[in-house]
Amino acid sequence: MRPSHILLLLLAILGAIDAGLILSAAQRRARQEQAARLQAIAVSGLGLTDLCLATEARYTRHPAVTDLVAPFMDHPGAMDHFPTGSFWAPPRSRL
Amino acid sequence: MQILARQINVLDYALSSLWRRRMKNLSVLLVFTAVIFLVASFQMTTGALTRTAERVLENAPQITLQRMSAGRQVDIPPEYAARLSSIYGISRIVPRVWGYYFDEVTGANLTVMGLATDRMPMGDQLHLALASGSFPGPGSRGSVVLGRAVNDMVQARGSHLLSLFRNDLSMASFEISGVFADATDILTRDLVVMNIDDARDLFRIRGDRATDLCVYVTNPNEINTIARKIADLLPDTRVVTRPQILKTYRVVFGWRSGFGSICLLTALTAFIILAWDKASGLSQEEKREIAILKVLGWQTADILAVRFWESLLVSGISFLVGVTLAFIHVAFFDAALFRPIMVGWSVIFPPFHLVPEMTAQVVLLIFCLSVLPYLAATVIPAWHTASVPADSALSGA
Repeated sequence: MRPSHILLLLLAILGAIDAGLILSAAQRRARQEQAARLQAIAVSGLGLTDLCLATEARYTRHPAVTDLVAPFMDHPGAMDHFPTGSFWAPPRSRL
Repeated sequence: MQILARQINVLDYALSSLWRRRMKNLSVLLVFTAVIFLVASFQMTTGALTRTAERVLENAPQITLQRMSAGRQVDIPPEYAARLSSIYGISRIVPRVWGYYFDEVTGANLTVMGLATDRMPMGDQLHLALASGSFPGPGSRGSVVLGRAVNDMVQARGSHLLSLFRNDLSMASFEISGVFADATDILTRDLVVMNIDDARDLFRIRGDRATDLCVYVTNPNEINTIARKIADLLPDTRVVTRPQILKTYRVVFGWRSGFGSICLLTALTAFIILAWDKASGLSQEEKREIAILKVLGWQTADILAVRFWESLLVSGISFLVGVTLAFIHVAFFDAALFRPIMVGWSVIFPPFHLVPEMTAQVVLLIFCLSVLPYLAATVIPAWHTASVPADSALSGA
């Protein structure tokens, strides 16, 4: 077997895996669409403004409507001590 | 046909050449794959979260009004809602009382929200978002609807009541009338929804005051205009519009976040080291190989083609494997590597069922960051060596 045939085989395996992943993503997206209706009701009915991803600090639980001073409110120049503060960037428009 | 056969022969030679130096090439492949995996995982995770936020929050309140004092949010008195009635185009104003409750036993932060759901858009359909029970009717006090995590906490204590402490440490107990469905976990997992007067009583908020006001307008095209009018009329308020909320989530997971910068810097550092290693010149063995090939009659273009194929194979396979692994990491392992940073010390967080975002923009970004610099960094030194006459290259070796 020529080396290029082995490469072709490897690429075919990778292609098959990727095709499977794309199909699986399509299925997951369809499930998400089903949940979207209930989520729309919850957001509209309760006036929700944020995703419930990180609940440790209010500026990462509700970044859209939080106090701008919240991360540094303990004392002037206080460092943000919650880990999620490093992942969630403050929106530039509100700085 | 002849060109294709020629390129396949060159490809075969390039593969054999890679195999001869397999340990070196394998280590480059592994580092390269790991870097692409990290960057692609970050892109897919943040892309999936941003898309979820945009899809879910397109029904957020059109305008949210908060009162500010000394740079902090304070309660909003009922007169503010009355003053807004002078603005033409506002269809409804709904006061909400909400805040956070720290549960000392579990260390969890709950979001407590009190509002008259019958005054909200789609408020009459909220029962559809419940997995069990029902939504308490308007004016019904002493009962709550819980997010699944809060309900699990209450069940773990073997209680059928949710007991919360007021500021003065007196206890308020609520009957559980319903639990949100798992489909809404990403929004409601830490939520306790109650009557607005119960929330005022719990947080000791005076009279008819509210935490914020949800303002809805008749014509959605006028959201920004009416928001500006509100800001002019009530200068001590912060006006957050729906487009601003959506924009927040578009930028909140951006490259400017600390973790995003770390991923990008790591990737860039790795590429700089790789490029430096390659651009600093070929080894004596590689120079000798090129010289021998030229003596055997290979042209500079043939040698460049071999080097190009070698680089393309290493970077292309790394790219494919890295992106595939990133997809599996995000889709099937719920971005487990990023999870500790995304949730931090949160006790309550939803199961992340992310669908990775693989847009052409993302693929192109990763490709340009990884494959193109590697190709440039390997082909240019090869061209330098290949353009040197074979006899001088051999005598130098």
